[in-house]
Amino acid sequence: MAMDFWEAQRKARSRTSLYIATFIFLTVFVAVGIEVVLRASFSDDYHTPIPLFGLIFVVITCGVAAYQYASFSIQGGAYVADSLGAQKVDLHTTDPKKMQLLNIVNEIALAAGINVPPVYVMDNSEINAFAAGTNADNMIITVTTGTLNLLNRDELQGVIAHEVGHIYNQDVKISMQLAAMVMGFYIIFIMGLRILQFAPRTNREEKGGINFFLIAIILLVAGVVTWFFGSILKACVSRQREYLADACAVQFTRNPDGILNALKKIQKSTQRHEMPKEGIAFSHLYFDDYSSFTSLFATHPSLEKRIAAIEGKTYFPTDFDKPQ
Amino acid sequence: MDTTAIILLSLLGLLVVLILWGVGLFNRLVTLKNQVKNAWSQIDVQLQRRYDLIPNLIETVKGYMTYEKGTLESVITARNQASAARESIAKSGGTPTPEDMKTLLVAEASLKSSLPQIFALAEAYPDLKASQNMQILQEELLSTENRIAFARQGYNDQAMIYNTAQQQFPAVLLAAAFGHQHADLYEISDQEAKKPVKVAF
Repeated sequence: MAMDFWEAQRKARSRTSLYIATFIFLTVFVAVGIEVVLRASFSDDYHTPIPLFGLIFVVITCGVAAYQYASFSIQGGAYVADSLGAQKVDLHTTDPKKMQLLNIVNEIALAAGINVPPVYVMDNSEINAFAAGTNADNMIITVTTGTLNLLNRDELQGVIAHEVGHIYNQDVKISMQLAAMVMGFYIIFIMGLRILQFAPRTNREEKGGINFFLIAIILLVAGVVTWFFGSILKACVSRQREYLADACAVQFTRNPDGILNALKKIQKSTQRHEMPKEGIAFSHLYFDDYSSFTSLFATHPSLEKRIAAIEGKTYFPTDFDKPQ
Repeated sequence: MDTTAIILLSLLGLLVVLILWGVGLFNRLVTLKNQVKNAWSQIDVQLQRRYDLIPNLIETVKGYMTYEKGTLESVITARNQASAARESIAKSGGTPTPEDMKTLLVAEASLKSSLPQIFALAEAYPDLKASQNMQILQEELLSTENRIAFARQGYNDQAMIYNTAQQQFPAVLLAAAFGHQHADLYEISDQEAKKPVKVAF
């Protein structure tokens, strides 16, 4: 049974909304928590009508996130491709493989109704690809030479359709925004740590002095909690966007076998750790992100789960897998 | 205020509402018509690309296939018919009339049944199969085929939205008066023609 790609897309989209709502709830919940704890601890000195510290928490996280996101967006997709050593494919290339690649990107852009993005090729033996860029003007697609050499036309079309799916759904933007927020939480944690290190300890005993120790602990705890759960939620969103891009690939090509066989080829491939180490910061963008992380923090669902989803089955761990 | 004034004012109000609704409908239909036109132009570009590629293909295989003149001629005839149908649509303002669409579909169907024969025949000529020119042409024709298929999907979606907007009540009362007509879907009924051109690598 082939996948119902409309239903799969709807499911992935609604799960994304759920995770993002949880993310926002987490931020607000911790901000309120800070406020409540502070008011309880300093009931004599701290009773302004506006929730000052809760707001400071939100402003600092969002401020750091906005700065972080702005620097991501300015760089654009070409920056990511350049820093991984990928070369832009010349539109007048005479290399048959690259001509085919450009043709496929044109086909799928037409199917998705988006502008044709620039295409990059990076010299690497593993089968992988990524889309990068935060808005319609700076989106790019990169594939490895391994992808060009090992996949046939239909499989390559499936991979490109998956990447175009990311562009179509603005997934890079979403994951960059979440990453920027998580960075903001991390900064809160660091601030707590620094205050703990450098705050004058004598104040702790003085009556009426500011209890820096308590403030530091509150920031530390708030930072760690939001950073930890924020990272998990960010990974949850990322995995849903992978399912969504797979479903879009089937929608655009109307050929589930293309992407399915590409994933199966990666599964059988012995080269899954070949992407450059300096590119690890961008690994969440890859078509296949093979990580040794536990699945809680993984940016991609396992290949087995993705294959099962495209085949329209439910994934069971191999022990329970019944023969078809 | 007396009763006559109230009645007159209400009638005036009703008239204003009707005119506003009419303007809204007019604009909506124009927008949809232009979207259909744009969607068709996406197909048109690809059809033209295919009709430009076929003479190149014939030119490339002609030297090898001296005994298959009949096949080559039937491809050229089908290509010329389809190309003429495409041009007639382009001249008539961008959206195909039902007659134009029918001519194009018939010509495309015969092209689609004769074109694969060239590739099938090419199998018997290793030199031809290995020539880079032939490989590029095969890839280009295959890609164009895919693009036509994807553009057709977009066109049919737009045409369906446009047709539905015209058929809905009360738009149906005015659509024809505003100069709108049913947009034909680009569908291939012939089962044989539905198969894409098979190209072996």
